[in-house]
Amino acid sequence: MGASSGPRRLSGMQKQVLALYRGFLRAARSKPAEERKQIESVVCSEFRKNSKQVDRKNFIYIEYLLRRGKKQLDQLKSPDTVGLSSLSVDSSRTRGSSS
Amino acid sequence: MASALRSAILRHIRVPATQVVSANGSRLTAVRLMSSHDDHITKDEVINRVLDVVKCFPKVDPSKVTPEVHFEKDLGLDSLDTVEIVMALEEEFKLEIPDKEAVRIESCEQAIEYVYNHPMSS
Repeated sequence: MGASSGPRRLSGMQKQVLALYRGFLRAARSKPAEERKQIESVVCSEFRKNSKQVDRKNFIYIEYLLRRGKKQLDQLKSPDTVGLSSLSVDSSRTRGSSS
Repeated sequence: MASALRSAILRHIRVPATQVVSANGSRLTAVRLMSSHDDHITKDEVINRVLDVVKCFPKVDPSKVTPEVHFEKDLGLDSLDTVEIVMALEEEFKLEIPDKEAVRIESCEQAIEYVYNHPMSS
């Protein structure tokens, strides 16, 4: 508890994002190998893309992404969901960066 | 009458004797070899397997990996990569590391300590 022996300091929001990421990777494990790979690559690239594109001070948007991610994770956890194709991973509306 | 019928039936039924082979037979034999004194893995084995997991991580330069390296400071990884490494360690050692403890694993040294001190590591 509260060990101040110099570990990296993560904000509450960062912790939530990392916990969500972990949650997705855990959920992916329960899927067949093929789907698992696909899920992992989509999840990985989504998180990485947002980590680069989203302004880290844009708390409202990050909170929105967290909420959306949690919903998608709940869907993914259902045994009926085999892949992410049935989820709406809309890469089209990522902050309108249409460069 | 019933017993005669039963033995008649049993004489004709052949149930194939299936050999039970576990999915990871190799792992089992490996553990058995190590278990002459104790069924917990040795520190050297933990070190080697932790380092192997880290070296296999795509973004990591394997030549930089030593038991002392810090994932972010020395290997240039970020917090997402660290999550992935800790998840890979979970699978390697058949553990489930709770979030609270996972966030404290930031270096090979901490990973080795955690795994070695975990009673369920295998």
